[in-house]
Amino acid sequence: MGNTHYEILRNKWIKKHKDLQKNLWEKHGNALNHFANSVTQIAAGSLGGIMLLTSPVVPLLPAPQTPAPKENIMPKIDKNVFLITDLHNVLPSDVAPLTTVQEEGAVKILTRDFGLKIAPELSGIRLNRSYGYIGQEQHLTRFPGDTMASHFSTQDAASEFGKQGMAPGLGAWGYFARSADTMTEKDNLFEKYYIAVPTFLAPGFSEHTGEYITFFKYRKMIVVNPNNGRAIVVVIGDAGPAEFTGKHLGGSPEVMQYLERVDGAQKGAVLYFFIDDPNDTVPLGPIDIK
Amino acid sequence: MLKHFYSYIVETESIEIELANLDLSEKEKEHLLRLVDSNINHSVVDTILSELCEEDKKEFLKHIKNKNQEKSWKMLYSKIQNAEEKIKKAAEDVKKEILEDIRALKKAK
Repeated sequence: MGNTHYEILRNKWIKKHKDLQKNLWEKHGNALNHFANSVTQIAAGSLGGIMLLTSPVVPLLPAPQTPAPKENIMPKIDKNVFLITDLHNVLPSDVAPLTTVQEEGAVKILTRDFGLKIAPELSGIRLNRSYGYIGQEQHLTRFPGDTMASHFSTQDAASEFGKQGMAPGLGAWGYFARSADTMTEKDNLFEKYYIAVPTFLAPGFSEHTGEYITFFKYRKMIVVNPNNGRAIVVVIGDAGPAEFTGKHLGGSPEVMQYLERVDGAQKGAVLYFFIDDPNDTVPLGPIDIK
Repeated sequence: MLKHFYSYIVETESIEIELANLDLSEKEKEHLLRLVDSNINHSVVDTILSELCEEDKKEFLKHIKNKNQEKSWKMLYSKIQNAEEKIKKAAEDVKKEILEDIRALKKAK
């Protein structure tokens, strides 16, 4: 069977796009690099070499020094580029709380691209914001006696994620399991893919504390890095961070690594919304665009 | 389609019309139109930056980032002769190739 009209045109225009991109960077690389460094966090060489540098008005691809993506992953990469572009269209230039219009725009884009029911508010409950800086959290103790020595199932995982260490206290909901023997894979994933959000700052929290705590406990959410299009399905596993930290939420080491977000002066923003998944059909972990 | 500071002088409806006659799903059509948009944008930005000195390039990119169309155009008018015409030509050149690609595909049907 021959190629479809779509495939033929897509392949031609992607090639053209690459040529235009290469030309642009060869001629104006200094200005583009200066601009990129001054306005946004760029994870150099990340995401297989794809990164939108600027606002949607200039949807530029990365400087050609990053490895060229393989042809067979182009369609996936392109989808990320368009997601990034679309999000830039609706997000403010500063990392500020979203207006209703901005929030609706972001939800519409994410719902379309990930095929999930995504919402900033469920059952009349919402967080204090849905766009903010994410900071690095530590691993949480999953069951009594869980230590860094027992925390990882493989040596590779221990090498990769061990350096962040274990938080000194328990998560907001206590242990994930009563013991190592009774811990399920679901419990394990809850800790692996958790975020900490300031549940205590949710509008109405002080008036409905019990109801809100029940709602937030292991509530499924999607977290998206708008600068690279990476998204991950997580649960709320802890409460925090405090307002004075300048961060609006925290991510487990595994979440942060996937999103390519780092703590400190290089901290970056993410979008985070609830996933309406009453039958628990959406798996935790990284999620690709449909 | 994305809205750019030059959108009011560059139309892409002609491409949409040509694509409408092909066997494409809505999603495929949308994807292709975005590629078109991005290709035109790269070409237009290249044309503009090619006319500016290094410092002006940085300033112009800043205006675009801030979505400040007024400052973008003020700068273009003050720094580039016949800026509108040059932008139109850059876009038209890309559109011409795009339309040829579509028409060639129709002929091959």
